[in-house]
Amino acid sequence: MDYLAQTFHLLRALFPKLVEGFGITVGVGLSAMALALLGSLLLLAPRMAKSRLIRVPVESYIELMRNTPLLLQIYLIYFGLPLLGFFPSEFLCGVVGIALQHTAFLVEILRGGIESISRRQWEAASAIGMRRLATFRYVILPQTLLRVMGPLGNQLIILVKDTSLVSAIGVMELTMVGKMAIERSAVSIEIFMAVAMFYLALTTLLGAVLRLIEQRTAARL
Amino acid sequence: MTSRREFITHVSGAAAGAGLVLAQGEPAAAQQPPAAAAPGKSKLDEVRARGKVIVGVTSEAPPFGFVDEKGELVGFDIDVAKLIAKGIFGDDSKIELFKQGFAARWPNTQNGSIDFGIMVTTIYADRALQVAFTRPYIDSGIVVVVKKDSPVKTIADLNKAEYTVAHLTAPVQEERGKRLYPNAKFLTFDAISAQFNAVKLGRATAAQLDAPVALYYLKDNPDVRMLDEWLTDVTGNSIFLRPDDFKWWLFLDTVVAEMLGGSLFSPYKALYRKWFGKEPARARA
Repeated sequence: MDYLAQTFHLLRALFPKLVEGFGITVGVGLSAMALALLGSLLLLAPRMAKSRLIRVPVESYIELMRNTPLLLQIYLIYFGLPLLGFFPSEFLCGVVGIALQHTAFLVEILRGGIESISRRQWEAASAIGMRRLATFRYVILPQTLLRVMGPLGNQLIILVKDTSLVSAIGVMELTMVGKMAIERSAVSIEIFMAVAMFYLALTTLLGAVLRLIEQRTAARL
Repeated sequence: MTSRREFITHVSGAAAGAGLVLAQGEPAAAQQPPAAAAPGKSKLDEVRARGKVIVGVTSEAPPFGFVDEKGELVGFDIDVAKLIAKGIFGDDSKIELFKQGFAARWPNTQNGSIDFGIMVTTIYADRALQVAFTRPYIDSGIVVVVKKDSPVKTIADLNKAEYTVAHLTAPVQEERGKRLYPNAKFLTFDAISAQFNAVKLGRATAAQLDAPVALYYLKDNPDVRMLDEWLTDVTGNSIFLRPDDFKWWLFLDTVVAEMLGGSLFSPYKALYRKWFGKEPARARA
């Protein structure tokens, strides 16, 4: 069929560009993911601290980040920092923007996981003479990990999809490559579908890895 | 040649047919042939039956389409669209303005979300393969804007690795860049306002803008200037619509022709003066 042949030709010609954009998407995604995971681990203890002086600033940060749109944050970082004399690259602004927001979500997921373990386990551990740190390491943490793997995986998949927002500040990632190709050819649905396939492949792979980790974690308990 | 529309009709027809066969156990031969896209059904008839026309516009490109201080969507393109609505219904309020991004204008045209689009759209041959254009309703061209204190004086000056130029997602801008200043770095945005801000805030040395858009922005931004040298000769901004609808195209093209020098020249001239402060050249003597 002519239509199929035409579409096939177009997509085949576009394929190398899409792969290039895909590479950048993966780069943004992985960097932001690493930063966000690191950030959430760093903020977890202050978030759960008893002292209000330590806890409140972190809580405020989380509320601010969770309750404003990511696109807006990315714009603010990208167009705002030059006013202060800093000119970080588009890629860096995008990665940091995504990481800042997702850190907030991840901290809350981790905190929820830890708090979902009954207080009585802490008490029981202390009754048999375990120190707090040991209790956390050997009793609470393994159970927490298992509980948070599901929501954590969800959040990381959302993070991967959010990478498309950095196209707004000119990072040539997958969605941007697709938009450019549509501008050129005015062929829209077919290109959007192809772009969606790439995302689907990436998130499916990520989902599979996360499930594998979840199973391994479960098997060790 | 099988078009996309026919392809989709066939596939959905076949799928529906298969469903029928499964449901009723009838032999395949009893299937009706898939209904062809109804011939003669033009957007023109659809619009008149609906009682309003749905027009794709931008809200990001003053003075063509933007949101004014009162929060209303206004601009030259918007007024031209209203003039067309008046031509259809005798009433310029029978119009729905459909705000869309620049990349979204093509799919929205093809899938029928909008009846036609009018949003600072330049005619290029590769675009004309995918959508139909009327004759241009206004002349345009592409200019370069830079910061007032920038050392860049000519387009050739931009051809240095330390310079960055902001482009719109339109690939023609990138091609022009590769031709005229291949050594500069390129940055691509999908909004004209982002392009302009990139220059204003120092993210980019220069940006390619449509001439009237640039003039409008420059009025409020004395810290930005336009290079004397233009990037293109005169280009045409045009109304775009689905390519397979001759009746609708003929109507719109006729209305545009009348605006440029016929029975609609007076209202068109008034709009032109309102937004650009000068009179358009009359196309017919």
